[in-house]
Amino acid sequence: MNSPTNQPVTSAPRDNSGTKDPAVPIWLIVVLFLLVYWGAVYFDEHGGWFDSQVYTPYVSAEQLKTFQVSGGPNPFEEGRAVYAKTCVACHQANGQGAPGTFPPLAGSDWVNEPQPGRMIRIVLQGFSGPGLTIKGQPFNTGSAMVPWNGLSDDDLAAVITFVRGNKEWGNNASPVTPEQVHAIREKVKNHPLSFTPAEIEQISPAD
Amino acid sequence: MRYGPIVFLAAFLTLSASWCGFVLTPQIQLGRAVQETNSVVKAELYPQGRPGLARAGLEVYRADGCFYCHSQQVDQKKTLVDVFLTDAGKTPTAVAQALEDAHAGTFSAPGLAAGLPKPVLRNATMESASVLASLLKKAGATAELHLAPAGPDIERGWGARRTVAQDFISDSTVMLGSQRVGPDLANVGARLPDENWQLMHLYAPRSVTKDSPMPSYPFLFERRKTGQHPAPDALQQLPKEFAPPAGYEIVPKPEARALVAYLLSLRSDTPLYEAPLTPPAPPAAATNAPAK
Amino acid sequence: MNATCTTSSASDAVSTVEIDASCRVPLFTLFVSAAVWLVVASVFGLIASLKFHSPNLLSGCAWLTYGRVHPVATNALLYGFALQAGFGVALWIIARIGQTRVAQPWLIAVGGKLWNFGLLIGILGILGGDSTGFENLEIPSYGVVFLFLGYLLIGFWSLVTLHRRQERALGPSQWFLLAAFFWFPWIYFTANYLLLAHTPIRGVTQAIVDWWYIGNLNLVWFGLVGLAVAFYFIEQLMNRALHSRYLALFTFWTILLFASWSGIPRSAPVPAWIPAMSTVATVLTLVTALSVMVNIYQTCGRGCSQTENPPPGKFIAFGTGAFVIAWLMNSISAIPEVNAVTNFTWYTVAQWQLNVFGFFAMTMFGAIYYIVPRVTGMEWPSAKSVGRHFWLAAIGIILIALPLAIGGLIEGVHWRNPKLTNVDVAKNALNFLRVSTIGEVLILLGNVLLLGNLIGLSVRYYKIHFVPVYKDVTAKLDPAEVKP
Repeated sequence: MNSPTNQPVTSAPRDNSGTKDPAVPIWLIVVLFLLVYWGAVYFDEHGGWFDSQVYTPYVSAEQLKTFQVSGGPNPFEEGRAVYAKTCVACHQANGQGAPGTFPPLAGSDWVNEPQPGRMIRIVLQGFSGPGLTIKGQPFNTGSAMVPWNGLSDDDLAAVITFVRGNKEWGNNASPVTPEQVHAIREKVKNHPLSFTPAEIEQISPAD
Repeated sequence: MRYGPIVFLAAFLTLSASWCGFVLTPQIQLGRAVQETNSVVKAELYPQGRPGLARAGLEVYRADGCFYCHSQQVDQKKTLVDVFLTDAGKTPTAVAQALEDAHAGTFSAPGLAAGLPKPVLRNATMESASVLASLLKKAGATAELHLAPAGPDIERGWGARRTVAQDFISDSTVMLGSQRVGPDLANVGARLPDENWQLMHLYAPRSVTKDSPMPSYPFLFERRKTGQHPAPDALQQLPKEFAPPAGYEIVPKPEARALVAYLLSLRSDTPLYEAPLTPPAPPAAATNAPAK
Repeated sequence: MNATCTTSSASDAVSTVEIDASCRVPLFTLFVSAAVWLVVASVFGLIASLKFHSPNLLSGCAWLTYGRVHPVATNALLYGFALQAGFGVALWIIARIGQTRVAQPWLIAVGGKLWNFGLLIGILGILGGDSTGFENLEIPSYGVVFLFLGYLLIGFWSLVTLHRRQERALGPSQWFLLAAFFWFPWIYFTANYLLLAHTPIRGVTQAIVDWWYIGNLNLVWFGLVGLAVAFYFIEQLMNRALHSRYLALFTFWTILLFASWSGIPRSAPVPAWIPAMSTVATVLTLVTALSVMVNIYQTCGRGCSQTENPPPGKFIAFGTGAFVIAWLMNSISAIPEVNAVTNFTWYTVAQWQLNVFGFFAMTMFGAIYYIVPRVTGMEWPSAKSVGRHFWLAAIGIILIALPLAIGGLIEGVHWRNPKLTNVDVAKNALNFLRVSTIGEVLILLGNVLLLGNLIGLSVRYYKIHFVPVYKDVTAKLDPAEVKP
């Protein structure tokens, strides 16, 4: 039972007059440091250095990049994805738009021109204003097309390639390269946002 | 350690370190993940999210504790690379020489153009495969690299690649399991897509898998008298010792259908940036055209 | 068996008798409920174990399917027995070492009642299909609320008791218990809030938080409280001081630093850094096991194999040995080459059982058998049952842990051979499971003995202390004695 004069060490500080409290055995400290060293090496080799995309068996972001060998760039499909994220809200999944409000892209003239200059301008800088008629249908001036110059040249080239080449919609025009988009981007840098139909009519498609 | 506050501080600091490491940081890294386009077919957003019946099935999976015996984590030991020659180019002799130099084997130059695309190096590391690909390119040929994840789980057919965080972002209650009494289910929708088999397996596992240790789930089904015509979704082809007596049929309850819909929606074989793989080419579409 | 010695010569000293008496009410609530839940856990554990031999056993009833019986067994063991008994023993040790009465014993007892109510509705919810789907956290949210409220009462007043201690400096047992009383509400609240609240966190972050909680509960919390109890009773029973405070300090820090990062499996579908950190931390917990081994061995010296060991000492000794083995099993199985074999097998189950039951529950048994006679002033109704309980429990847990560990290793090797189907692997593990079921039966019998002893003692206490008072109060009054 609890002897009054023999307080266990769990309750009281050891008095300093007695024998010294044994220290942690040195071999245990050595084991600890060896394991810490092993742990550091292991984490360096297998931890991916906190990258959120590196999963075992890959060991670094650089190595993961070398494994990205999906059969080559496919601008048409990339453009399909961009369209699905960006354009489908107004121009609809079938490219028909909404009568009177959003122009159709399927079979429309400016989309199918051999030279893509007009279309690139519209997508880059936006479009609004009176007097637009597509395939005999007038479109009102109320809703403007938002400029998409925030998208990269690659994404813009991809989505324009997709729309121009979408045979399901009846479009069969040539694809567009990011360089072409970049060239037009430079040309219209100083133009205020939003082209009007009149301006587009004046621009030659080859420009 | 004389004072309470010091002990408290020690506990507080160590626990907050662990909390920051495993609760906060993963949330920052993974918590706001959204659907991303996969690395091969960029038009598809992944994951698609489970349709309504499968979502209900997830609740059945949770309530009946399926994850105590089934895991949903596929592991991958390494990624092997195959080099496929897609175009022998204009100088097949140079190509054959390049192949020999890279120790890929001896190929006869005229025979190179036959049977393309064909593998010229199998199960290599990425380093040797890239070296070969660049050598082939210099020799005027074009080659493709095909990725094949490898590991014990993948050899068993439990998945085409390892499971990653992106596979689970559309699930609430992610049940990854910690023990395997039964097979891993991360890709079971691709492996066992037959609904009737899944229903029979739930009703009486030993009717489709001999000596299976899985408990049976007859309470997910209803045994009732067959009416004038058998119910269209009554279980078919139950072996004699498990089949109901004549005049009765076993019909799955909504919970069983939901659970099977969930199981069939479990797939993790889409190539992703963090888990690249080359999916097998789809079989040539059947046509009505006469054979050439 | 009343303790008649007083502790110190200070005039405001509280005698051990008074300390023990103040513990009576909360410990009665906590220990008896814990013993009941222990038997419930063993019964459900036995049913779960039997289902592996005959999968069709009780399969017609949704409430008794394996996927519901198994979480009931683990949750009843964890929250019903282990945590409650831990709270009770910790409270008594804090009061005893601090030489102060328990603060607000009735509020602690109310906390205990809330805890049990929450657990009851939670267990019934699991059986009814409301399991949350997170391991060791299957209690649905309506149960969690009451569990947490109950803990707040228990934890707060236990910390007040600690605060009111006479001797201000803290010894190892008190460091461990203080840290543990702070640890549990944080991990419990965090895990349950992030996983069960209105908008839970998304995707695999759920699994990470669940694993984080499991590691912190099973390794850190049970380690802290179990070792605190073991250190205290080893000193009491051996009547000598712990070999080295510095080693105890080392153990304390290594538990807090390393074990709190354990638990993420190597194969998890999470970025590589998370399992890597967990692997390193779990391997580092090796030093915790070694430090405890050295400390205890040096304290006991040659005295550990005394034949005159009273039963509580046997439980504590077994528990400490199980601690070292369970933590060694855990840290070795975290080494990646070993983990490739042991992951997802019965080996992890064996390690969990050895840690929770072999280490923590056995240590709590020893503590309960020591404490209750002193707190109530009465002997156990059946002293022989105490000894029998030890042997049943010890052999039982060995029959569970050893076959499952070996079976798990063999199973792991089989899983890596793609030619063996999962049915083959399961068949090869069946014999090991059969032996473990025998272990479950023995453990159940031992737990029933404990419950019987506790109930018998409570009934006897009631008869001695309450019945005469009741009779006296309700006796017919002699008209002559009634004052007008």
